[in-house]
Amino acid sequence: MNMSKVMRVAAREFASTAMTKGFIIGALVLPAAMALVISLVLMLSINAQPPADKGTIYLLDRSGEVASTATERMSPEEVEQRWQERAENAKKFAKEIIGNKFGSKVSDSIDQASISIDTPEFRVIQTDPDVDIEKLKEELRTQVAAGSASGDELEKLIAIIEIDADATRKANDDEGFGSYQAFFRPKLNEETVSEIESSIRWSIRELRYQNAEIDRDVVVELSSVKARKSMEITEEGERKESSGITSFVIPFVAMILLLMASMTGGQYLLTTTVEEKSNRVVEVLLSAVSPLELMTGKIIGQMGVGLSLLTVYNAVGIIALIAFSMGDLIDARMVLLIFVFFLLAYFMFASLMAAIGSAVNDLREAQSLMTPVMLMMILPYIFFMPVIRAPNSLFSTITSFIPPISPFIMIMRVSSTDPPPTWQVLLAILLNMIAVVFFLWIAAKIFRVGLLMFGKPPNFRTLIKWIRMA
Amino acid sequence: MQLGTPESNKAYTQSTDFKGVSMTNTTAMTASMAVSMEGVRKTFGKKVAVEGIDLAIPQGSIYGFIGPNGAGKTTTIRMIMSILFPDRGELSVLGKKSAVESKDRIGYLPEERGIYKKMKVGAFLKHIGRLKGLDSRGLGNIVMQWLDRVELADVHKKKCEELSKGMQQKVQFIASVLHDPDLIILDEPFSGLDPVNMRLLRSLIDEQHTKGKTVIFSTHVMYQAEQLCDHIIMIHEGKKVLDDTLEDIRTRFDPRAIHVDPVGGLGMSDEIAKVAGVTHVTPVEGALEVILSEGIDPQDAMKSLLAAHPMNRVEIKKPTLEDVFIEIVTDGVRSADAEQLRADLLAGSKLEEEGES
Repeated sequence: MNMSKVMRVAAREFASTAMTKGFIIGALVLPAAMALVISLVLMLSINAQPPADKGTIYLLDRSGEVASTATERMSPEEVEQRWQERAENAKKFAKEIIGNKFGSKVSDSIDQASISIDTPEFRVIQTDPDVDIEKLKEELRTQVAAGSASGDELEKLIAIIEIDADATRKANDDEGFGSYQAFFRPKLNEETVSEIESSIRWSIRELRYQNAEIDRDVVVELSSVKARKSMEITEEGERKESSGITSFVIPFVAMILLLMASMTGGQYLLTTTVEEKSNRVVEVLLSAVSPLELMTGKIIGQMGVGLSLLTVYNAVGIIALIAFSMGDLIDARMVLLIFVFFLLAYFMFASLMAAIGSAVNDLREAQSLMTPVMLMMILPYIFFMPVIRAPNSLFSTITSFIPPISPFIMIMRVSSTDPPPTWQVLLAILLNMIAVVFFLWIAAKIFRVGLLMFGKPPNFRTLIKWIRMA
Repeated sequence: MQLGTPESNKAYTQSTDFKGVSMTNTTAMTASMAVSMEGVRKTFGKKVAVEGIDLAIPQGSIYGFIGPNGAGKTTTIRMIMSILFPDRGELSVLGKKSAVESKDRIGYLPEERGIYKKMKVGAFLKHIGRLKGLDSRGLGNIVMQWLDRVELADVHKKKCEELSKGMQQKVQFIASVLHDPDLIILDEPFSGLDPVNMRLLRSLIDEQHTKGKTVIFSTHVMYQAEQLCDHIIMIHEGKKVLDDTLEDIRTRFDPRAIHVDPVGGLGMSDEIAKVAGVTHVTPVEGALEVILSEGIDPQDAMKSLLAAHPMNRVEIKKPTLEDVFIEIVTDGVRSADAEQLRADLLAGSKLEEEGES
């Protein structure tokens, strides 16, 4: 094989694929733009909260004892204080869940978020307990129909609360406590609604404690059981139980990266092969290079395409992780394995694509031969959940040794929280290398015969005949 | 290397002589031959595309492969190029067992035109040049010189798909001769060209021949072969039916016919048929074709025809390759079938030209 000719073919293949506007936009700019848009939307949705609700609440207290507690509970000062406490707690919680390093970033953003959400402000008016609830509702309905009233926003009626007479004291021992009923103006912020409702519930509960002569603090103390982080006992010792983010996201991302990079290169290989065949440039090429040189060159060229995609996406991922102070999640061994498994997966997929591309007359005909290949490429998606739930189960172990899906399954296992032993990884690499040689051998045979065959699109039986023939 | 004087070719190229030589000294023969084939057979499934072809094409000669569409010309050429491999038979190209070993010394213009549509003309030619083993240094100059020669200097930055069919054809021709090959194989090089470009291409092919290159080209339009070749190989239904120099073919297939245009028009045929030595008179394209009986010298016959009747024109009919072809495939029998075949041939080449222009 004349390597300089092979590399010449590869260079053209790479340039004609990767140096086009279509590729740069489709494969590089578009994902980057999407990532940008998604993060913008996320940031906007955090920062751009609707203005806080202000308004009047009619409190129709038929029990006769909740009203004053509830009014105090919903006074501007108390509401303000509670909102600040809640933000503090959220920060603490975030730190506990995600760990200190990343947690600080989260608490920063919670800071920003809580600053941007204004605390709602209420004016509570206790109505005559004997008033007809329908009249109050009618008033709210008229206000809603009139649209937003000008003038003082606090004048605006936003809610009517009707507290049952037996909300805090049972009418008799056979029945339970009564409750309350709330009516809201439409399109209030969710926070406002929950603030009002929780204040009412808190007030009702408070009065029930008083009536039963129970100290509230005692109840709180008695009902709280602090949860500690669960630990797993493994061969190596104790460790924290796997947390959601690392155990699911990283294997999934690794698998998708691998699939995307190998399929992009492979797909382009199919397209250019079909193109060369259908515009007959292939005969000119074959007068200069052998079919094997041509195929090798094309596969190497598209490997370059896949590698550059993988490199760009990996770099973006690594930069993103560092930017979010999650750099410690980057594992050099993982990055290396992604590239190794990419090469193995790509060579198998590319062989299939080269064989199919050389056998058909146009892309439409390629579809029927592509179907089984595509089904095969879906398998890693289907196997994602079972493999990631039990990375070392019999099923996971076996599927990670079966080419051509082996690279995808193995990368999931390797990046899971419970990676397989090194010998399994090495064995998978070895098995895949054998498979690559076999796939390339088959592809070379089909490629040689198929390139100059025009006419009826071949079926699998014809392909097997060609393999025997060549 | 220039071996191609007609005399030196003759001894090798007539098939009978070639066999004699090949049996006594195969190595000496293949060394001086650009292409040789022996008993080559190729089948596609049940269809036999080429059967028992023997060829010996000396270096420096210019050979024409002729035959109707589907005769097996392209299959033969693809086998010479090692794009297809024969099922049976021996083959050697430029002294090697296969063209694969000397790809860089061969220039090939395939029948199906192929270019990268999205590639720029200059880049495409450079790519092919590199694949053909040319050094990238100076390649740009070579490409520009060639484009200049075919009057396409201004298109080298254009995409191939923007060119007209005739321009693409010329670009393709450059791709086949760019690397200064010793053997140039052109499969239907003239299809799709207008008369001006046809003449340009003819002069370029002629120039390669003069430089001592071996040129093989195929065509189904036989007069094109007559204009260029010194040697004709005719293929019909996968078999070689003729392998000779143009001169010898003309002598061998002398139709023993004279075309006359008698004063008084074509109605004079009865009178002319009475002239001594004339066996048959048929009207053809504004003249009468006079067939002479065996043993009559055409010169004498012309004298007696002129003596018998005043003529506007009297000429010895030169056999065209079409005539030869028809005579070969119909075994010299003049019949309705032969006329039909002739009509088909003419119609076929016309259709082709119309379709491609």
